[in-house]
Amino acid sequence: MKIYSYVCKMQILRSMTYKFNVYGNIIMQTIIMLTTSFFWKALYQNAETVQGVEIGSMLTYTVISSCISVILTTNVEQRITRSVEKGTIAVDLMRPVNIFAVFFAEDLGNVVALLFQNLLPIIFIGCIFIQVPLLASGASVLMFLISLCLAFFINWLLAAIFGMWAFTAINMHALLQVKRHLIRLLSGSMIPLWFFPEWLRIVLEAFPFVYLYQLPLSIYIGKCDGMSLIRGITIQLVWLAVLSFIFYILQKRAARKVMIQGG
Amino acid sequence: MIEVKNICKSYNVIQKGEGFRGALKGLISRESEKVQAVKNLSFHIQPGEIVGFIGPNGAGKSTTIKMMSGILTPSSGEILINGRDIHKYRKQVVQDIGVVFGQRSQLDWDLRLGESFELLRHIYRIDKAKYEETLNIMDQILEIKPLLSKPVRQMSLGQRVKGDLVAAMLHAPSVLFLDEPTIGLDVGAKYSLRKFVKEVNEERNTTVILTTHDLGDIEQLCDRIIIINNGELIEDGNLEEIVDRIAPYKTLVVEYYDEKAPEHARCELFFHEANVAKYRFMKKDITAAALIQALSAEAQIKDVSIEEAGIDDIIRIAYGQLKE
Amino acid sequence: MKGIAGTIFHYIDVTFVNIRMALLRVVEYPSNIIGWLLSNPVQFLVGFATIQFAVSEFGDINGWNYGQLAFLYGLAVLSHALSMIFFVQGWFMGNYVIHGEFDRYLTRPMSVLYQFFFTNINIIGVTDLIPGLCVFLYGCHKVGFHWSIGNVFMIFVLLTGATLIRGGIYIILGTTTFWTRSNNDFAQYTQEIFDKTTMYPLSMYPEGVQFVLTYLIPIGWVTFYPVSNMLGLSNDYLQTSAAVWLTLLIGILVMVLAALFFRLGLRNYESAGN
Repeated sequence: MKIYSYVCKMQILRSMTYKFNVYGNIIMQTIIMLTTSFFWKALYQNAETVQGVEIGSMLTYTVISSCISVILTTNVEQRITRSVEKGTIAVDLMRPVNIFAVFFAEDLGNVVALLFQNLLPIIFIGCIFIQVPLLASGASVLMFLISLCLAFFINWLLAAIFGMWAFTAINMHALLQVKRHLIRLLSGSMIPLWFFPEWLRIVLEAFPFVYLYQLPLSIYIGKCDGMSLIRGITIQLVWLAVLSFIFYILQKRAARKVMIQGG
Repeated sequence: MIEVKNICKSYNVIQKGEGFRGALKGLISRESEKVQAVKNLSFHIQPGEIVGFIGPNGAGKSTTIKMMSGILTPSSGEILINGRDIHKYRKQVVQDIGVVFGQRSQLDWDLRLGESFELLRHIYRIDKAKYEETLNIMDQILEIKPLLSKPVRQMSLGQRVKGDLVAAMLHAPSVLFLDEPTIGLDVGAKYSLRKFVKEVNEERNTTVILTTHDLGDIEQLCDRIIIINNGELIEDGNLEEIVDRIAPYKTLVVEYYDEKAPEHARCELFFHEANVAKYRFMKKDITAAALIQALSAEAQIKDVSIEEAGIDDIIRIAYGQLKE
Repeated sequence: MKGIAGTIFHYIDVTFVNIRMALLRVVEYPSNIIGWLLSNPVQFLVGFATIQFAVSEFGDINGWNYGQLAFLYGLAVLSHALSMIFFVQGWFMGNYVIHGEFDRYLTRPMSVLYQFFFTNINIIGVTDLIPGLCVFLYGCHKVGFHWSIGNVFMIFVLLTGATLIRGGIYIILGTTTFWTRSNNDFAQYTQEIFDKTTMYPLSMYPEGVQFVLTYLIPIGWVTFYPVSNMLGLSNDYLQTSAAVWLTLLIGILVMVLAALFFRLGLRNYESAGN
């Protein structure tokens, strides 16, 4: 365990070293957040409320969605890809430490660094230029945070499972783009699910993506409470278990495959 | 003809703090320090010379050769190749130079070697007949033709260096820069590289400038060496001259029949173990023959050999001088 | 051959060799194309779905109807695709700088910028053209685009200008790495910002943003102004009747500025391992 906490700490330091990257990311994320909010404002020119949601809630949704995207940053797919491309994966897998745990520790460290470097400035800028993202009710803070933590784990597992594609011959850089765009559309990070047609919504709720953004965001703006909240968190837990299981199996298989090929 | 006039090069090196506090501090302000990699270097190189740059790691020899080949811009000073400033007339001047950097290849990793040559042929506007001719000559020295249809990524390091050497010579440059060309090469590949350098120098009168850590390269190739340390020129001249000047001694190794080794006033007995003794003597003080004769009068000699001061002695002495 | 004509001929000649090599590289790794053929359409279908959603839920966006938005979007994707083919390396310049990849360009008798972009020409970017063309043709159909020679020529001028503006901005962003010497990867963010500002009408942003995107960072000229012109849509912020030609002019201007900036940056190039 000690080694992983060391990796985590080192990653925090490493993430903080590149000043230019840090500022660059903040500026870029701010621009994205602002453009999205203008997009909503333009759309709401003709309407007070759409689907029972008013502009204020949509702006809060935008700010908080940007914040969540900071927390849901992963590097594990790239790490696996690079390791496979460079051919170091065999060595990595046979090390006495679990390489995936190392990747997780790195991602965790990175997110901790991002909390200070990116999250705070983004909330600050959001408050000034868009609106103060007020929580719907004090009681939902805890539920929001729980849901967000679960979303972090689900997101990481999805990324790691996705990263296993690197063991096949397919070009990962393209697939990573596919994943990013699909998650953006299907998770409700940009456009909330309630704007989608009924049938599509039902289909999407069967996938894990909506539990990354849509659920914590709905809790935050107070559109999800009571039974639907309990139901949502339960589904998150189920996904967590299912994805952990899939990940475990794939990891074992990958190790075996590499042993046979590379041994 | 290469003229290097008072070139300097300094880098900004960013200072990074330690631990969390350093990292946090680094986000706000960063201190940078100016490091002088090359200090006021000047020298001339005549056409057809083979010049070796030697010096310890970080001495500035790579920086110098990169400035001479147009890659790095000097902070001050100028470099003229065939009378023209390489940084002002880069495109014209580089038409007449070839560059091989041992660490990095200019060949296309994914494609067959011939494809990289074809690109160069078009970049340097070499006509087909001339290209074929050069390739034939290169084939005689390096046996390059069988490699033409091999993907570069499947080549051994030695084969890749051959490819890079030919690539640098396709446009028949009058100056060839080699930065650590023999690094990591096996004996066979080193041999063909040295043969290549000698032949292009003799046949085409190509000026060759190389940096190396390999003393074999220096001994076998260079008529002239330039020793650099801490960005400054320490020695510049003919190998033998430098040896005569800073290490004007020879070592006589004598094996006696018994363990007693006689001494002599005009030399220094600096090593004596069992029946082997080593004497260091100045060439101006005594000749080897006279010394042997004197020694054999006092003890019975079984075998003798004479060692000249080698290039490594020179380097050791040259660096040592600087430390004092 | 001597003189300017000779130089141009030389560059065209080398460009053909570069394209040939790029194609050979594609053949060498066929799985790459499959990945991108899958990825790029998905990306732009997602974007197009967003527009479709917006119009169906909210009606016109700042006076732009569905067909006009599709036309705008199509041209945005097409210019994006062209910039991907020729200038995408600008996004990754940091990588090249850190690993000393400019060494070889500097020792060859051609423009460094030319070599940087064309020895790494991204033929696979053609896969971006396919979704772009689909959406654009759909938009043409919806707005009743008249396929006269004049109009097609204007589209050509527009796309040239738009690609140059994009390319110039990529170069300027990438060039900063000569000073920072860090491996900045602007790819994702650059793309998102360009997507958001070229695929929707610029008029939906506040005046300050419009000012910046019109005069300081001329992204507004990539699609918004010229397309407004072509479709006869007016906007409150800036009126001009020659927007398509201005796009080309600005494109050339941005490219020249970018090349000068790059030249300045290159003086700070430190190769690798120093």
